[in-house]
Amino acid sequence: MRPDDPSLKRMIPPTLKLHEKFYLPQIVGGLLVTGKHILSASLGKGAITVSYPEDQHVPSANYRGVHRLNKDEQGRVKCVACMLCATACPAHCIDIVGATAPESWSDREKYCESFVIDELRCIYCGMCEEACPVEAIELTGLYDLTGLSREQMIFDKTKLLSVFDLTRDAEPMRYTTPPPKAGPRPTEVEPSGLPGPKA
Amino acid sequence: MATILINGQEYPLPEGEKLNAIQAAQRIGVEIPYYCWHPSLSVVANCRMCEIEVGSKDPKTGEIRMVPKLVPGCQTPAKDGTVLVTDSPKVVEHQRMIMELLLLNHPLDCPVCDQAGECGLQDYSYSNGQAVHRFVEERVVNPRKEVAETIQLNADRCIMCTRCVRFTREITHTGELQVISRGSHAEIDIFPGHPVANALAGNVVDLCPVGALLDKDFLHKQRVWFLSKHDGVCTRCSTGCNISSEENRGEIWRFKPRNNPLVNDYWICDEGRYSYKSANDPSLLTAMYARIGNELGPVLTDQALKSAGQELTKVASEGGKIAAVISPFLTVEEAYLLAGYIKGLSPDAVLALGAVPVVGEDQTFTPDKVKGRNGDTSFLDPKPFTIHAEKCPNRKGVEAVLAHFQGEVIDFNALTGRIAAGEFKALYYTSGSPDLWADEEAARSLRSGVSYLVVQDTLVTPLAQLADVVLASATFAEKAGSYVNADGRLQYAEAALPPRDGSLPDLDILAILGGRSGGPVESSAVLAELAAKIPAFGVAAGGKLPTYGALLGDAPAPLPTNGDAPTPFIDAWSKTRAQIGTRSGAGATR
Ligand code: SF4
Ligand code: SF4
Ligand code: SF4
Ligand code: SF4
Ligand code: FES
Repeated sequence: MRPDDPSLKRMIPPTLKLHEKFYLPQIVGGLLVTGKHILSASLGKGAITVSYPEDQHVPSANYRGVHRLNKDEQGRVKCVACMLCATACPAHCIDIVGATAPESWSDREKYCESFVIDELRCIYCGMCEEACPVEAIELTGLYDLTGLSREQMIFDKTKLLSVFDLTRDAEPMRYTTPPPKAGPRPTEVEPSGLPGPKA
Repeated sequence: MATILINGQEYPLPEGEKLNAIQAAQRIGVEIPYYCWHPSLSVVANCRMCEIEVGSKDPKTGEIRMVPKLVPGCQTPAKDGTVLVTDSPKVVEHQRMIMELLLLNHPLDCPVCDQAGECGLQDYSYSNGQAVHRFVEERVVNPRKEVAETIQLNADRCIMCTRCVRFTREITHTGELQVISRGSHAEIDIFPGHPVANALAGNVVDLCPVGALLDKDFLHKQRVWFLSKHDGVCTRCSTGCNISSEENRGEIWRFKPRNNPLVNDYWICDEGRYSYKSANDPSLLTAMYARIGNELGPVLTDQALKSAGQELTKVASEGGKIAAVISPFLTVEEAYLLAGYIKGLSPDAVLALGAVPVVGEDQTFTPDKVKGRNGDTSFLDPKPFTIHAEKCPNRKGVEAVLAHFQGEVIDFNALTGRIAAGEFKALYYTSGSPDLWADEEAARSLRSGVSYLVVQDTLVTPLAQLADVVLASATFAEKAGSYVNADGRLQYAEAALPPRDGSLPDLDILAILGGRSGGPVESSAVLAELAAKIPAFGVAAGGKLPTYGALLGDAPAPLPTNGDAPTPFIDAWSKTRAQIGTRSGAGATR
């Protein structure tokens, strides 16, 4: 896209109307929403808590949980160690060591020798996923992320690949495989198999 | 006065210089994109990226006549009355078409390509190219191959600018590279069985505007945008090539040449290029040591410094003679502080120049304007490049300091003889050299000649094993300071790395020992002091040196004859990139 492209449209933010400039109507509107939620929850219908861990919360389909490193058809890690994710990451929590790919990998010149994410530093913004040119890193719907020490929360390549094995069926790779047919996405995941101290 | 018209504005032309349209436009901040042109190589005009509208203005009538077709800017001399148009729709459209053509077979490997981040294709494709291209045929896939022990060629990324070929023909006169096949099958290759094997081979990697020629030593190790660049001076021989040391996470990853038309032009030799490794050596000293009883053990920095200082003062006050070895690997500032400190302890102390390693003979590459060249050579001012046999960066600088402090230069061998004869009570020995100066036997004889020995070095040498105090000092990468090269040119080198744990830069060690107050010393302050005291260093008055360094003993620094030298290729690109940034920021919607 060039800056002088005629198909570019300039977006102009809407100007505030007079009553919007007072802000009070908005505040009252917000309080109304809050009140509605309090009412419906206390009347038992719209309760928004679950009895975790007996009941599992199902996050929305665009929830961003723990990372996984995708594998290709031959089971090799897809990552080409371009370090774009590490460059994009605002928390600087990705550490990659690149290396020349083995001779037998004819389609690839480079791969990641080591890939480490500090899940404690991560802010789950999903920038790494956005940056990746080969869709190698993705955030899954897994939210049950606990550890007993800082070391346990530093995920290396093996662990990140194992998250892929865990979530492959429930969450197919977004761009390289056709999307799953209807049905909510993350329900089939067995939470007991999550990475972390339980696993 | 000669004038040139660029994009409708008239500019004066610099006197006595031969410039082409690219250079003339660059001087006034107008960027003409180019690939095949390089200021030190002959002009072949085969990439066609730099084509612009050219014409001439009749000096009498003022009438402007334009050449009907576009003309390569690299081949257009900037003369009186030349008219250049670099931003007309015709030129812009042409640049888009050239980018589309260049990218026909290009694999766009940017995620794995080492050039990404400093690649001419990436940058110009963004600023001058287009987002779509119409090529539907099968792409030519050229093989990946080895053209030298240290260099890999990814032939499919090559854009056939032939800079690398011209370099081996015109600069090194070794001619290892050639173009094989023609048309879309053209490929860069070596003559079978004759890999690129000359002392400057690594430069073809820097020359290549795309990621076709790659240094295997750096291959896939770092992305270039992670590297911080520091302006340094190569310390592997007395040429004193200007380099940029590129560092990330406390490690140096590569050296690249920096342009200095008065020293190394655009090149560095392979020996210097790979000498960065000694700064990452895991066996560098990581603590200071002192002899307690009979054992040499690690001690705190201030303890080591205190014990060395006290003992040397004691020797001096008891009338014992002190000798100091000033290494030609020290900067002039350090040599000055050391000499001042030792002479301050006792005026009859003896200072000697450290061992000067000499390997082989000087090797000079003398390009001339004709030999081995094709194409237009009229814009060229080829400069010879010498790799010196003297493998230390600062012999002349230390000699100048020694001459000031004691009127004569005593060489290392003369001093070792005098030490063996038992003339001295204490020895202050500095090295910082990656080569070993004293093997075990020499170390033992040095040690037995004196009763107190201070060694200031970066490595664990046989002499350090025998010392009373070992002061862990900085490698070339960890210290800032000035060096005097074989031609007597004083040049400043920045520090690229912070001091390693347990060590101190030599300048700080010497400042503490010499009791200089006022916090950490700055090399520029010491240089200013030195320039005021020693007439030979007068050029560095105020602690400042011109970009290209200054000749020792000279009056104010002479600037290069051609004014400000052409901007190096990569620098030109980063400027373009900055401009793109502002342009796209203005028009784009978010
Ligand atoms: S989700 Fe955001 S913070 Fe976490 S690793 Fe990715 S880019 Fe970094
Ligand atoms: S962006 Fe993707 S391919 Fe690049 S290093 Fe990160 S995970 Fe690997
Ligand atoms: S040469 Fe440039 S454009 Fe080509 S793959 Fe490398 S970085 Fe990308
Ligand atoms: S290998 Fe690089 S320098 Fe040589 S012709 Fe190709 S693009 Fe130019
Ligand atoms: S730079 Fe002028 S044609 Fe290549």
